[in-house]
Amino acid sequence: MKKILTIAFREYKAMVGTKTFLLSIIMMPVLMGGGLVALQLLNNVGEIKERDILIADATGQIYPVLEQAAEARNAMIDKQFGEDGKPRDGESDFGGGPSFNKAEKFYLTAFGGEMTEEKRLEFSDKIRSQELYGFLEIPREAIEQDSTSAASANIRARFFSQDSGLSPARGWLQSVISEAVKNQRLVEAEIDVQLVAKASQPVRITGVGLVERASDGSISEAEEKDELTAIFLPMGVMMLMFMVIFMASQPMLESVLEEKSQRIAEVLLGSANPFQLMCGKLLGSVAGSVTIFAIYAVGLYFVADQRGYLSSFPFEILPWFVLFQILGVLFYASIFLAVGASVTQLKEAQSLLLPVWMLLMSPLFVWIFIVQDPTGSVATWFSLFPPATPTTMMLRLATGQTIPIWQPILGALLTSLATLSIVVLAGRIFRVGILWQGKTPKLSEIIKWGLSG
Amino acid sequence: MSNAIELRQVRKTFGKNVAVNDVDLVVPEGAIYGFIGPNGSGKTTTLRMILRIFQPDSGEVVVLGQATGKTADDRLGYLPEERGLYKRMKVFELLTYYARLKGFYDCRGEIDSWLERLGASDWANKKIDALSKGMAQKVQFISAVVAKPELVILDEPFSGLDPVNMESLRDAILHLRQLGTTIIFSTHDMDMAEKLCDGVFMIFQGNKVLDGTMDEIQADYASNRIRVALSSADNTLPELHGVLETLPKGRYYDLVLADTSQAQSVLHQLTSQREIQHFEIVKPSLHDIFVSIARPEEVLAASKEEALA
Repeated sequence: MKKILTIAFREYKAMVGTKTFLLSIIMMPVLMGGGLVALQLLNNVGEIKERDILIADATGQIYPVLEQAAEARNAMIDKQFGEDGKPRDGESDFGGGPSFNKAEKFYLTAFGGEMTEEKRLEFSDKIRSQELYGFLEIPREAIEQDSTSAASANIRARFFSQDSGLSPARGWLQSVISEAVKNQRLVEAEIDVQLVAKASQPVRITGVGLVERASDGSISEAEEKDELTAIFLPMGVMMLMFMVIFMASQPMLESVLEEKSQRIAEVLLGSANPFQLMCGKLLGSVAGSVTIFAIYAVGLYFVADQRGYLSSFPFEILPWFVLFQILGVLFYASIFLAVGASVTQLKEAQSLLLPVWMLLMSPLFVWIFIVQDPTGSVATWFSLFPPATPTTMMLRLATGQTIPIWQPILGALLTSLATLSIVVLAGRIFRVGILWQGKTPKLSEIIKWGLSG
Repeated sequence: MSNAIELRQVRKTFGKNVAVNDVDLVVPEGAIYGFIGPNGSGKTTTLRMILRIFQPDSGEVVVLGQATGKTADDRLGYLPEERGLYKRMKVFELLTYYARLKGFYDCRGEIDSWLERLGASDWANKKIDALSKGMAQKVQFISAVVAKPELVILDEPFSGLDPVNMESLRDAILHLRQLGTTIIFSTHDMDMAEKLCDGVFMIFQGNKVLDGTMDEIQADYASNRIRVALSSADNTLPELHGVLETLPKGRYYDLVLADTSQAQSVLHQLTSQREIQHFEIVKPSLHDIFVSIARPEEVLAASKEEALA
C-alpha cells in the first residue's frame, strides 16, 4: 500500500506541478467559454456601423415615419456610445431587437421613381460595390390590403441586401413599419391608439422554482428562475465535469508513454508489480482531478457569490458530482493507461484514441436535448450509459427537475461496474504492453491481452 | 556460502522464438558476475527473469533464497540498459522516489553519500534532461543501488562512459562488493569483464556457452599459440616442426601450433638451436573466446533469422 501511495504521489506531482497544468487550468474555461466571451468583447468594442438604406416607398406615407424613427435611433446611439464607439456604463440596453444591432446607425434616402427590374439590378449592383447597404421596396398594396385575405400573402415589402436574412436593419424596419401601419389603421378606424396600447399590455409570467419547508418550519419564498439556471447552470456543471475528467485522465497517456519509451517501466516493475503501479497511477489521477475540481469550485463560488447567483445553485448535487467525477476519472484514466501502454509513440495512439474521444465527447453533442427534457427517455437512457453517465447525469441533476433518485443510484452502480471491468481489462493490457517494444500491436492483439487473464 | 542466484533449466519463449533455452546458472553471494553475449542472445531476458519482470515458461529461478514470487523483491536493485529516468524530474527527487519504491524511506543520507562518491553532488537539483549522458548514467547507477540492495543487476552500466567515468563506476562497483553486495552486470566490454568479474557467464542464441571463473574458462579454451623472443645475436627463427604459422610481432614472434600439445616440443627445438629470452603460452583473452564462439558470420545469420521472425 505504501508503494501505491509513493507512486500516486509522484504521479500527482508530475500532473499538478507543471506549467502546462497551470496553463490548461486557465485556458480550458477560456477555450470552452471562448465563443461567448469573444462575442461579448466584439460587441463592446465594435465600431458604430453606418448603413445607407434606400427606401422605395410606393405608398408615400411610410417614408417620413421611417426617417423620423431612424433619426431618433441614431441620436440615441450617439448618446449611448461615446465618440469611440464604446458603450457608456450603465446604459447598454436599447430594448427590443437582438442585442448585436446596438451599434448600427441607419441613414435613409427616399427613392421616388418607378421600381422596375432594371432599377432593382442597378441598386443591387450598388450594394455589391458597397455604395449602398440595402434597399427596401414597399408596394402600394402593403398597407391597403386586408391582411386576412389569402392574396395579400404575396404582396409584401421586400428588403434587399447582402445579408438580408440576418440583417438587423430588416427587423428594425419591420417593427417600425408595423407599428406605424397599425397606428394608421387604428386612426382610420377611429379607435383610440392609447386605448389599444393599454388594452394590449401583455401579462408577464415569471418562472419560479418550487417552495420548500425550511428547517424552522416556515415555507420558503419561491425563487425566480431564468435562463441562467435553466440552461447555463446545467451546461456549466456538465462542462466542469468534462474538463475535470479530461484534464485528470489525459496526462496518464503521456506518463505511461514516457515510462515505456524511457525504459522506466522496467525499473518500476523491478520495484512494484503492475497492479500496484496501475493503482498508484489511478490514485494520483483521482487526486489530481479533485485538485482541479477544488480550484474551479472555489473560483466559481466567488464569481457566483459576487454576481448574486449563489442562491440559485443546487448545492445538494455536490456529493453526486464528486462521486461521478471519481468514477469518470477512473474510467477514462484506465483507458488512457491501456492505450499508452499499447503504443510506443503518441502518434500511434491517435487512431486508438478516436473512439475514446467520441465516448467522452458524446454528451456535448446532445446536451441541449437533455436540458430541454431532462426527464425524457433520451435523457434517461443516455445518462445510464456508463461512459456518458458522469457528464449527463450531472447535467440532468443540475437542471433542478425531479430526477427519480433510483436513476443516479443506478447510474453510479452501472458506472462502477463498467469502471471496474475497464480497470481490470486495462490492467491486463497495461501489464503486457508496458514491456512491449518494437512494432505497435494490432487492436485485436491488444483486446486479446485484455481478455486473457 | 550460499548462492545469490540459482537458475535451473530455465526456459523462456516469445512466440516461436526461444529466448532462453534450458539455462543453468549459479551465482554465489558476494560475487561480481559478468553476463556477456552478442545483442539479442537472451541476456536481458535472463536478467528480467531474475528481476521477476518475466516469469519463466519452465524451470526454476531462485533469487536470494526465494524460489517463486510474482512480486518484485526490494532486495534487488536494477539498472536498465540506458535511460530509465524521468526526464522532467530533478536528480534528488528522482533518487528519493526510486528509493521509496524499494521501501527505503529514510534515504537522504544514502543519496547524498552516493552523489558525493560519484562526484555528482552539484547535480542534485538539476533536471534529468539537463544532464550529459555520462552524468545520467551515474544517476541511473545510484538509483539502482540507493536502496542498499543485496543483489544489484546492471544492464550495460559502462556504455557511453568516458574512461574517467568508467573508472569511478568501476570503483563504485568494487565498493559495493566490499559491502557484501552481489553484482551482476552485462557488458560488451570484454576487457572490463575480464578484470572485474569473479565469474563470467556467456549466453549465445539462448544457450549457455560459458560459465565459470576466468581461469576455468581460459583453461577450457587453451591456446594453440605461443609467444617467443630470441636473444638479439641471432634473431631469425629456425625451421620448426609442428608450427603452422609464424607471425612476427615486433621483437616477439607469435607461433600458431598445429596442436596445443606440441608446445613443449617446439620449446625443445628452439633451445637446442637458439638462445631464448622469452617463452610464453598465450592465454586466450575473453575477447578472443567471445569472438571464437560468436563468429561474425553466425551473429549475422542469427540476426537475419530474427529479422525474418
